[in-house]
Amino acid sequence: MGQRGENSYSEPERRAQERLQSIDTLKAPIIQLGKDMGYEVIENHDLGAGPVHIVWLFKPSSESLPDMRLGFLCLTEFSNSSINEGLARAMLNLVDKLVFVVPTETMTKEVKDAIESMPDRSILQLRKYVTVLTPSTLVSKQGIKGASKRNSAQTGGEVM
Amino acid sequence: MNLERLIEAGEEKGFEVEQDADYGAGPIDIVWNINVHPVLPNIKFGFVVLGAEEEGGSQDTEDNQLSLRKIEEAAFRGIRSGLDKVYLVTENEEMAKSVSGKIEWLASHGSLIRLDAISLRLYPEQQESSVITPSQQRVPEGEKIKKQTEREREEKFDKYNRPQGERRDKESEQERIERELKFDENSRPKGQKKVLDD
Repeated sequence: MGQRGENSYSEPERRAQERLQSIDTLKAPIIQLGKDMGYEVIENHDLGAGPVHIVWLFKPSSESLPDMRLGFLCLTEFSNSSINEGLARAMLNLVDKLVFVVPTETMTKEVKDAIESMPDRSILQLRKYVTVLTPSTLVSKQGIKGASKRNSAQTGGEVM
Repeated sequence: MNLERLIEAGEEKGFEVEQDADYGAGPIDIVWNINVHPVLPNIKFGFVVLGAEEEGGSQDTEDNQLSLRKIEEAAFRGIRSGLDKVYLVTENEEMAKSVSGKIEWLASHGSLIRLDAISLRLYPEQQESSVITPSQQRVPEGEKIKKQTEREREEKFDKYNRPQGERRDKESEQERIERELKFDENSRPKGQKKVLDD
């Protein structure tokens, strides 16, 4: 099959192509980072509810403990329906924590606000399930220890 | 789709009915606010119409098979909007059945969210309950007994009615025809006896 020239794509096809390209751009550093950190990395994890772009799989050394899945879903543009769909896919595909990966800081804020704007009496506390970030934030903060980890390192790492 | 019946039904029951509500997660076509008791919080039922006008084309409504995307999106729109139940309203019964099947399938993976407990399907003329019955319970008990009886009957048939080995060898042509006639006459279920030609 020959490759089609750029001009032979219709407008929706071209938009879909662009979207796929930007998703690949967002995915690449996350796949690399997961591999570098020694996790099992799964692309397009799907148990039937639709694909989650990337999953890092944590396998505890004990067989009696379950595997943990950290899912990454790339959003190229903000819309409530894409957030709803992403949440459904993650939860129904047994992802334990979800990260929405977005291209810009402005969009980070938009998505965060949408997640936090849920009614107080809702059965779900989505802000505890979802993190929103850009790939550069994730890569640049690699190696910085969290507060609790710093403290435990200072006290010899013992859990009281 | 005409949602007047849902609006009227809600109002007749004394519920506060909202149309085209949006609590920040996308539009909900109808919301019933049910005041159970003054000291208890209101219960919210939401109705979301699934149709061709949603994003994703009309192919799925043409073949009465709504996509998983639409179902998931609408269900989570309701959950994010703080609804206690989300009813997915379809154009007809066939589409509603397809939605039920997909909800059951999505709920079967063992997720933290039991989608079938929150999200149910409806169609305009629906009379029966929208609660999804697990497939294990859907087959009626009588049906299981009937299948067991059929199996036993087939086993007996295999044992007694098929000449095997020596019996087949000794049987004359006349005996074979008589036996097959008797078998044909007596083995049919009641009410299905063969009508003999004059």
